[in-house]
Amino acid sequence: MAIQVSGITKQFGTYRALDSVDLEVRSGELLALLGPSGSGKTTLLRIMAGLESPDAGSLQLNGEEALGLKPRDRQVGFVFQHYALFRHMTVFDNVAFGLKVRPRAQRLPSAEIKRRVMELLELVQLGHFAERYPAQLSGGQRQRVALARALAIEPKVLLLDEPFGALDAKVRKELRRWLRKLHDEIHITSVFVTHDQEEALELADRVVVMSQGRIEQIGSPAEVYDHPSSAFVYEFLGQVNRFDCTVEGGVARIGNGALSITTDETLRGSGIAYVRPHDLGVAPAAAGPGRVSGIHVVGPDARVEIELDGLSLEAEMDRERFTSLGMVVGDRCTVQIDRARVFTR
Amino acid sequence: MVAAASADVAFPTKGSAVTSILKKPSVLPGFGLTLGFTLSYLGILVLLPFGALIVKAGGLGWFGFWNAVLTPRVLAAFQVSFGLSLVAAAINAVFGFIVAWVLVRYQFPGKRLVDALVDLPFALPTAVAGIALSALYAPNGWVGKPLNELFGLKVAFTPLGIAIALTFVGLPFVVRTVQPILQELPPEEEEAAVSLGATRGQTFWQVVFPAVLPALVTGFALSFARGVGEYGSVIFIAGNMPGLTEILPLLIVIKLEQYDYAGAAAVGTSMLLVSFVMLLILNILQHWMRSRHAR
Repeated sequence: MAIQVSGITKQFGTYRALDSVDLEVRSGELLALLGPSGSGKTTLLRIMAGLESPDAGSLQLNGEEALGLKPRDRQVGFVFQHYALFRHMTVFDNVAFGLKVRPRAQRLPSAEIKRRVMELLELVQLGHFAERYPAQLSGGQRQRVALARALAIEPKVLLLDEPFGALDAKVRKELRRWLRKLHDEIHITSVFVTHDQEEALELADRVVVMSQGRIEQIGSPAEVYDHPSSAFVYEFLGQVNRFDCTVEGGVARIGNGALSITTDETLRGSGIAYVRPHDLGVAPAAAGPGRVSGIHVVGPDARVEIELDGLSLEAEMDRERFTSLGMVVGDRCTVQIDRARVFTR
Repeated sequence: MVAAASADVAFPTKGSAVTSILKKPSVLPGFGLTLGFTLSYLGILVLLPFGALIVKAGGLGWFGFWNAVLTPRVLAAFQVSFGLSLVAAAINAVFGFIVAWVLVRYQFPGKRLVDALVDLPFALPTAVAGIALSALYAPNGWVGKPLNELFGLKVAFTPLGIAIALTFVGLPFVVRTVQPILQELPPEEEEAAVSLGATRGQTFWQVVFPAVLPALVTGFALSFARGVGEYGSVIFIAGNMPGLTEILPLLIVIKLEQYDYAGAAAVGTSMLLVSFVMLLILNILQHWMRSRHAR
């Protein structure tokens, strides 16, 4: 089911959480709403679910106006950051809840409900935990129960609010892969909110980057990472070196001119240059302008901190290349910019 | 000494297995000291008077005790005291819950004033409450008169009057135990229920109410216990007719005034026993409910 968001605006007191947002969620895709806290991403998700109502704008689910619909009539599954499982119910009863509260005429026979719930628990790999209470499960297991509970009502759309936010790093990664696999199997239109760019880039078909109640950019993970449309997106997605620069005649000069970048002829004036750490080439040179001030080798990657003309830079390369360079802290080096992006003010 | 020393090491030896149950290594110091204090404090403050009461009642002997307790007048008073306390606690459980719900869930002008008003029955001397209530509900009072004339309903000097007085003194217990639990209830659980298709009624009865139930039972138990022991507010409105509107505490006072100390102690002891058993049952019930969904 496709979702069409047009001109949605929401104000909390004097704070504008969403400022005339337009967005189309395509049928069957997995879409990430990515942004820092306060960017309005959760508010947008809650408006789609009907847990919040906007001040202006319209929302269409499958071409039908949905703002007048109550949450329970929208056929939307919602997964909360802190699971929101019913504490006094077993795992089984939690998952069965949405099926048991249906009006009598639409309710499935209890044997059928039982079959469906067990099927879902098998799907989330928790078949043996049906009789447990949420308090007896780990965070990752609880979130899987929450997911099974949301899927039980056979929603047309699945909305997930920071679904991995409360989990530790390892479980988060496992659950992320698992969710991607699940989505590839059942192809339910899904929207998830996250502030973790790695999560958004790895998991989503398309990423929506939000800031201060507006959408900054929409695109595939590769598009938004390789071609950020604004300074905000550049800074928010991944590690980046940020320099003040002056642009003139197709050249951006950084600092006192120690580094320069060729740019578009039309740009002029003062601006900001962004360089990803892996787009920074470093080579040892006895009389080089830079000095290695720090080295961090983490797993397969090496990060090298360099001081150059009063600037501090960060370069990243794979470990093998770093070893072949044979640099230590204090060495002189040259720095070369392979790729950069300049935004003028 | 061996046990005390071995409890401090990381791998307790076999000999310390028994003591380690009582003395586990803990980051909180002073377990021995505070437990000792707690036990002696409760002993002096609570158990000592109870013990004295039971010893005094024991002076009557087994048959003397039951002769003093199993009289029609005492049994009727039992019925009045415990029956009406249960009724009052039940009324408080329903309406106290509603008061707590309104105070937690809604914003309205004068909310703080209403909140403060709830505690008034705690602060007011019970005798004052009793006099005020009986003046109000007496056949010529502001409320008693129209009730009597329009519906022929007598409140003061009937069991109904006692129930009203007990409801009055017990209200804060329910409100104050339910309020914090309602406050801490995560709104996400209700939102989850709604998004799963539950109606408002289903959300309330299947999600909110079970979460609040243990606190509600506590409030009910406290209100009930208070009702059983209540004296001041009841005696003015009760009329105190033996066998009809005579409560147990009053009966004890009457026995004391007649210098029947052992008889008073016997009634007191039996009252203590019944109360203890009832509160124990409520406590077990509550423990069972809580253990099912402890976080």
